[in-house]
Amino acid sequence: MKQFSWRRLNIVLHRDIGYLTVAMLIIYGVSGLAVNHIEDWNPNFIREKRFEQIEPITATERDTVKAEAMRQLGLTEEPRNFFRPDPETAQLFYENLTYSVDLPTGNVMIETTQRRMVLFEMNQLHLNAPKGVWTFIADLFAVSLIFMGISGMFILKGKTGLAGRGKWFVLIGTVIPVGYWIWYQYLQ
Amino acid sequence: MKRSLFVLLIALLVTVAAQAGGKKNYGKELTVKETSKISDIIAAPEKFNGKRVKVKGPIVDVCKERGCWIKLGSDKEFESIRFKVDDGVIVFPLDLKGSNAVAEGVVSVRTVSVEDQIKSGKKMAAEEGTTFDEKSVTGPKTILQIKGEGAQVETK
Repeated sequence: MKQFSWRRLNIVLHRDIGYLTVAMLIIYGVSGLAVNHIEDWNPNFIREKRFEQIEPITATERDTVKAEAMRQLGLTEEPRNFFRPDPETAQLFYENLTYSVDLPTGNVMIETTQRRMVLFEMNQLHLNAPKGVWTFIADLFAVSLIFMGISGMFILKGKTGLAGRGKWFVLIGTVIPVGYWIWYQYLQ
Repeated sequence: MKRSLFVLLIALLVTVAAQAGGKKNYGKELTVKETSKISDIIAAPEKFNGKRVKVKGPIVDVCKERGCWIKLGSDKEFESIRFKVDDGVIVFPLDLKGSNAVAEGVVSVRTVSVEDQIKSGKKMAAEEGTTFDEKSVTGPKTILQIKGEGAQVETK
């Protein structure tokens, strides 16, 4: 009969939880990279703007403005919504498409919005947009990560284990966030 | 094992199919029975200040960066109201623009200083890729918005 070994159990748990969480790790990692740079780009959508010129629209009555804008833009399908934020602007909303007409000049801005495939879904999960059950799953994942971090330190023994060079890597990995925070908070 | 995975996949697809079209909920469930007109709130903001309201209207704009607000068109022309949520509490996708929404939250009226108006004007302009003229700010401004808690949006 095999003797019970804590280290063996640790390795098995580390390995199997690793398999279980690999998809989540990729989702959170990729999305983390994407949303870290939110100041520089939109990680969820591709937005494009183009401009067209139509004749100025002098009508003031809502339905007439809408009909005239649609006629000049060659739109036959009824928009999802029509809105005038001010007397000089008319907006026609279609799925992922907005026409903003500057009535006195006839300048039209056409804005398209397209979801970034896969990345949008990853970001929604990472930022816990769905809430509800996903909160519980994300909590479980967070606990698993803590376990993976701790259990990872006890997989190997000897020179490459925690008692050997491993302790220096752990130290460096701890100094980076703690040191950065001290610099950010008190020294800069 | 394979059969369980197959059943799970089918259940997932059925759920997705059931949610496609119809309405999608964001944040807390709507509880206020009566719907207030956005035009009434805009006409008398002090009367509604601090009150929980339910409003409805087309989504005419969405926060481009973090999805932390939507702008709802009023029942009257040339009017809209901002429905603002705390960052991360609700994330409104940009492609909700143009959809009809029913939203619930607390009306808030506050005065914004010249400095803050310039700061937010510049931020909005940067998001839009346009410029902001600081001279357009002439003094403190009263801002009316709904501190959002939940919304239901028609997806198709």
